[in-house]
Order: sequence, then structure tokens, then C-alpha cells
Amino acid sequence: MNSVKNLTLVDDDEIFVFLTTKTIRETNLVELIKVFGNGLDALNFLIENKDNPEALPEIILLDLSMPIMNGWQFLDEYASLHPDMGKKITIYICSSSISPDDIARAKNISEVSDFIIKPITKDKLVDVLKKL
Amino acid sequence: MEKITDYQYALDVSSIVAITDQRGTIKYVNQNFCNISKYTAEELIGQDHRIINSGYHSKEFIRELWRTIASGKVWKGELKNKAKDGTVYWVDTTIVPFLDPEQKPYQYVAIRSDITNRKIGEEELRNTLKEISDYKYALDESAIVAITDQKGIITHVNNNFCKISKYTAEELIGQDHRIINSGHHPKAFIRTLWKTIANGKVWKGELKNKAKDGTDYWVDTTIVPFLNQQGKPYQYVAIRSDITERKRGEEQIRLNNENALRNANMLEAKNIQLVDFCNIVSHNLRAPLINIAMLVDYIEQSDNEVERLEVLGKIKPVVNHLMEVFNELVESIQVKQDTGIESERLVVQEYLDKVLVGYETQIADYKAIIETDFKEAPEVYFPHKYLESLLTNLISNALKYHSPDREPVIRVKTRKTAPKTIQLTVSDNGLGIDMVLHKDQIFKIRKTFHRHADAKGFGLFMTKTQVEALGGSIWVESMPDVGSTFFIEFINQTT
Repeated sequence: MNSVKNLTLVDDDEIFVFLTTKTIRETNLVELIKVFGNGLDALNFLIENKDNPEALPEIILLDLSMPIMNGWQFLDEYASLHPDMGKKITIYICSSSISPDDIARAKNISEVSDFIIKPITKDKLVDVLKKL
Repeated sequence: MEKITDYQYALDVSSIVAITDQRGTIKYVNQNFCNISKYTAEELIGQDHRIINSGYHSKEFIRELWRTIASGKVWKGELKNKAKDGTVYWVDTTIVPFLDPEQKPYQYVAIRSDITNRKIGEEELRNTLKEISDYKYALDESAIVAITDQKGIITHVNNNFCKISKYTAEELIGQDHRIINSGHHPKAFIRTLWKTIANGKVWKGELKNKAKDGTDYWVDTTIVPFLNQQGKPYQYVAIRSDITERKRGEEQIRLNNENALRNANMLEAKNIQLVDFCNIVSHNLRAPLINIAMLVDYIEQSDNEVERLEVLGKIKPVVNHLMEVFNELVESIQVKQDTGIESERLVVQEYLDKVLVGYETQIADYKAIIETDFKEAPEVYFPHKYLESLLTNLISNALKYHSPDREPVIRVKTRKTAPKTIQLTVSDNGLGIDMVLHKDQIFKIRKTFHRHADAKGFGLFMTKTQVEALGGSIWVESMPDVGSTFFIEFINQTT
């Protein structure tokens, strides 16, 4: 039984994407996984599909440090965009950063549900997915 | 005979006249005598002359008077007498003894003129003079005093002035007052001073002067112009007090504050570097480590041998990546600690030429044009290793991120922006950087802004580290699809 139709990973770290995709598949909780290597690609996809709820993800796992457009910049853009979204999207920051500044900054962004410090375990993933 | 009568008349009218016998008993007084002594002739005649004695003069003085006239000589002097009402008056007196055939005086004729007003005036003047000299004494004791004429030529200096300026009075008098000029004050300041006092107004302020031995001293100064009848200054009196100690204290405080501020700024800069470094460690080192940990975990948990081998194969590149980042970090820390690295005078053109040789193929492939202008500042003072790496990074970026729509034009230029500052600019007409998006990240480690296979995000980070290690700065102006200009400011240039 898949509880989540669409999950989006926004992360440029190939190893992380490779392993997390594998782990998510093993949970059997997600139907479709989409991956973007930077914030801009993800943002463009959301804009293109804002009126197409079927294509939009229920959850985004967002890395912070990425080329072209990083996680913070993505969140900035998304803040002005999300009232137009045809679907409620839950965003988790998923970063290797252990900087207290980053964690505090994330807490102040209402679009962000939580800050997950990498590595992300299978248990934690199941936990997050079940909460939706 | 008539002539003598005329003389007597003239004398009576003009002078105070009295005649006494040889014992001093009054035999005759004229009207002037009565007027000044306020006695009538009747009250006086037959009286001893001491009736008008004021008791002011010493016994010795009076004895000398009598000795003179008793011996038949004329006595002249100033006497203070007392009138009937007790008031005193001064008379300039001539006593002429008249002698008998034995040459003994038988009478004395005293001719006096009233000098009371003069005497009062003299006394007032004496008092005033005493007061003035007391003031002068007090001033000389307490202050540094100098007087100059209207042109500023010193006409008087007191001891304190000599003491502080270390000149003798002889060395100073006749000299222009600028002999103690320290050159510290701006021309406009001195001009205002002169304008004030030349207009007859008092000037007050703090001046830094120079002593004979070249040392400086500070004086709190009041300059008072003395005006002539036309209201024009004919001399200036400068009264000063030594405030050198206070000024040194103030200067020390100012220096301490400056130092504290500099240290605070340095600490802040160090702190920012530390935060940056913490972020680098947190992200750039921790990320690959986590990858390795996750990969190892996966291998441990997996039962599928094919999958285990696949995942195992992914460890090696991550380790390589970790090693690479680690080495870059070590290199950047070495720059930060390499404070002993030697700066030297480098001809920018030579270094640029050297760098361009390495990019000949790319320059030819892209049909790139390199324009240079080092006329204004052909040399910079910088470590040669850093200049080479800096030019390499900026030129390689300009080539790497050229626009596919136009042939690249790269302009390298130096100019003087301040007396000891040289600015190097490298501008291109390439892809540009979205400054709104990336403003804070351009010089950070492992930040890339273009989808380019070779973009690593290390060059600009290293360049910034090197420039800042030498106290310089680097910044960029850029427009997407127009081009970028990198500015590097080298400070403490010897040229």
C-alpha cells in the first residue's frame, strides 16, 4: 500500500540520491520519486505544474547546499509561489549541515516542516512518510 | 625801587609766600598762603611755623632743612603741610635765608607753589603701577607670556616662555613668532587666528608649538590685541599655559581607541573566517563522510551480492572527493597562516603573459581577445605565487564561462585608486553571474553558479583567501549574459 504518490528529492549529491532512492523504494510507501539536482530545476518544475496536482509532489526532501540555486534560495522563491500551488506540499530540509545557524534559520521558515540532519535512516524516512 | 615792588607783586600773585624770623616765628604771609592753609593772616602772624606741620616728614628730613637754611643756604624741596581744617596739601618749596652783616640768618623767606594735584596724581599712578606690576608678577609666575608687534615680531618673552620653548630671551626677541611654529596646524586654522586678532578680537585656542630642540609642546593660548587710538592693533600679548601632558593623554586615548577598534575589526574578520571555516567543515567535509557511512551501512545490511558490489564501487569516488576537499582546505589554511610569505615588486604584464601561455589553445579555439592596460600602474607589490594563481583563476574563469553567442573579450587593467592602493580589474563579456541569487556565495568554497562540467568552486575561494591574507580585498560586479568584472585591491603598495 503506497501512502504517498509523489516524492521529490532536491539534492545534488549523487550518492545520497542513489541510496535514499533505494531506501524509499524498500519502504514501499512511495509510488513515484522525482529527483532534481538543484533548486532552480525543482522550482521550474513546480511552476510548470502548479495547476496539475497529479504531477505535484506531496513531499519534498530539500538539500541546502547546491549549485545554481541552493535550498535557501529555493525556499525564498517558493514562499511567494506556494499560495498558487494546486496541492499542499510538505517540505523537509535534509542537509549534512550541523550548523546551529542553519537549523535556527530553518525553524523560522513556515513552509519548512522539519530539519533532518543527514544521514537519513530508513526508520526516520518511514516516520516522515507516515506522518503525512 | 619800583622794579622791586613789581617783583614782589608778581611773586605774591603767583606764589605762596611766608616770612619767618630766624626762630621760625611767622612774620608775614601773603593771600595765597592764607588761601591754601585756610588760616587768616592774623591767626598766623606771631605763630611758630610748625602750625602747618603735617607730621608727614621724618625728623631727619626736617633737621636737614633747618641745618641748610641756618647755615645760610637756600633749601628746595617738596613739603606736605596741614591746613587749619586738618586737610593736607603739597607745596614745592624754596626757602631763602636773609643774612645779617655777621652772615647769620635773621629771616627766612619761603616761596611755595601748590603741587597737591600733582602729588595725588603721582600717588595714584604709583598705586596703579604697583597694582599693574603685581598683576604682571602674578601673570609671569603663572603663565607663558609673549608680546609681539603687529607684524608678529617678538618684543617680549617671560621666563616661562623661555623655559618651555628652550630658547633664551635674546634668541627670541626680534624674531618672527613663527620660530616656534610646529607646522602641525592647517593653514586655514592659522589664517583664522590672524584674522581674529588683526580685527582686534581676542583669540583663544590650543596650539602645538615647537621648542628649539625640535620637541613639540601644546599650549592653551589666549591672544589679546592691544589697540591704538585708531582701534588698530599695535601689539599682541599671548598668554599661554602648558597642556602638553593633557594632550599626550588625549592622544594616547585616541591611539588606544584606534587600536581597540582595529583589533575588534580584526577579531570580527577572524570570526567571520572561523564561521566560514566551520561551515566548510560542516558541509564540505561532513557530506562525503556521511556518504561513506551510508554506503558502508548499506553494504552491511544488504544480502544481495551484486548490489553490495555495486555500492562498494561507489565508495572510492567519495573517498577521492573527500581527499580533494581536504587538500583544498589544508591549502587555504596554509595561505592564512603563511604570514611570512614575501611580497615583491612584480610586473603585471609579465605574469599575465606567463598565464596566457597556458591557455593558448582555448584562446585560439574561442577566438578570444585579450586587452591589457597597465600604463597607470605597471607593477604591484605582492607574492609572485599568489599573483600567478590569481591571474590564472580569473583568466580561466573568464574563458570557461564565455558566452556561446559572442567571441570572448577579456580586459585586464590596473590603476591607482589611492596613494598606496592599486586596483586590478579583469572584465569579460561572458555568461555573467546572477548577483541577486549568488551575491553572498561567489567567493565561498565549492560554490558553483553555472552548469559547467569543470565548475568546482575552489578558484575564487582561494583567490579571496590569498588576497585577504595580504590585507587586500576582492569583489565582483556582474550581469547575467553581459559579463563579469572582478576587482582586486592591493594595499600597502610601495609605488
